[in-house]
Amino acid sequence: MSVEKALPSLVLISCGLIATIGCARWIELVPSPDDGRARASQTIARDEQVPLIMDRIHITRNGSPQNPSAETEQRILGSLKDIGLFSYLTGINTAGPTSQEKVIRARFVLDETIDPHAGNAAWKGIVIGASMFILTSFIPFEYDYAAHIALELERWDGQTMHYESQSAGTARYHLFGATPIMIDELKGHVMETCLTQLSSQLVLDTTFYAASSAPIAEPGIRTVSVKSRAPETSGPFRTVIPVSVTTTP
Amino acid sequence: MKASLFFVIVSLGFLLCATVIPSQAEEIVPRLTVGTQEVGLSAGYLLPNRLTTDHTTKQSGPAFMPSWAIVLTDPIGSGWYRGQILLGAEIVYIQFERPEVTHGVGFTPKIKYLFEGTHRLRPYIEFAGGPFWTDLGDRVPEESSQFNFILTAGGGISWFVTSQLSLNAGYRFHHISNAGTSSPNLGLNSSLPYGGFTFYF
Repeated sequence: MSVEKALPSLVLISCGLIATIGCARWIELVPSPDDGRARASQTIARDEQVPLIMDRIHITRNGSPQNPSAETEQRILGSLKDIGLFSYLTGINTAGPTSQEKVIRARFVLDETIDPHAGNAAWKGIVIGASMFILTSFIPFEYDYAAHIALELERWDGQTMHYESQSAGTARYHLFGATPIMIDELKGHVMETCLTQLSSQLVLDTTFYAASSAPIAEPGIRTVSVKSRAPETSGPFRTVIPVSVTTTP
Repeated sequence: MKASLFFVIVSLGFLLCATVIPSQAEEIVPRLTVGTQEVGLSAGYLLPNRLTTDHTTKQSGPAFMPSWAIVLTDPIGSGWYRGQILLGAEIVYIQFERPEVTHGVGFTPKIKYLFEGTHRLRPYIEFAGGPFWTDLGDRVPEESSQFNFILTAGGGISWFVTSQLSLNAGYRFHHISNAGTSSPNLGLNSSLPYGGFTFYF
């Protein structure tokens, strides 16, 4: 077959591949050790439920502190609410119950790790462009996202429990399958896995959070420690201290 | 003809701005993430660059460039060069008015680096290249064939009117030649100052 006769077929095949595989995307989640376990289930009497106050949400992304969004807070509270362990939940900016009530105080830490493979994406982009987009179907892109969650719950008598979970996933996509929603989907799936693991752990300690599990602390003057925040940056950072230099004539 | 086309382009741009500019003052921070796409339209006027004494043709005329691109990376780098890479394509249409009325049309994949700049003002550099057909090709001493290639390099600035719409102004250097597929092949070099708008979604 001559090149002239084969060219239209090649163009058609290329267009077909671009229109199908070139628009494909999928998300791969790293299976967690908890995936095979059956869902834990406990019961708690309604009058045994106590409220939960979200004291603090701390988020870091690739080690850099971030502002927690209202959306993130709502998602965390919603996930904790779904367990059914607590009578009601309040956010960090909501007035909580008085100190005389039995309450659980929560501190939540989310550490996100994002690897968009920017260097690879740039090179692949150049190759795809140079091929006039013919290689679109053959060169996939990757975007990695991992989350580590730590939850500390403090009971009204001062006892604390720590829970941790982690998950990771990769969005694989071809050029025309990329959308901003895709990254949100990936983050959503990873976060959901983490929160599910967390709630499974929490359910196992149902009796610990029941109102009758411990008496309320003696009424009196309760104190909290007031301190400055410790620096969270680590690694090859240097503190630059301004100094005055005096030169002699 | 040329003036009316420019008027149409500019009017379309301002009309688009008027319909999407927020009525209340709000902070405009374009959030371009991986997968964000842009479509745009630019128009400019091609001016000749005769780089050697063998180049005699003073080709000139209006150029129109509808374009598309997709954001490939989150912001990379640090400091003044921090920015994002976009991959896209555009159609280049040039109506040569000199040395005689002829036309040229090409399709060029392009790669663009969009600096982070300030929130609203984002400079960029771009490079594009692809096939280009023009009936000027066999009518000037620099080019012997109608089938050519066009290479483009340039830069500009994007002013974000809203978080999804920017007005752009820039400069490009164009080189048109046939990659040695026929002789002579001196090539036509041009400067192209242009303006336009881009919509992000």
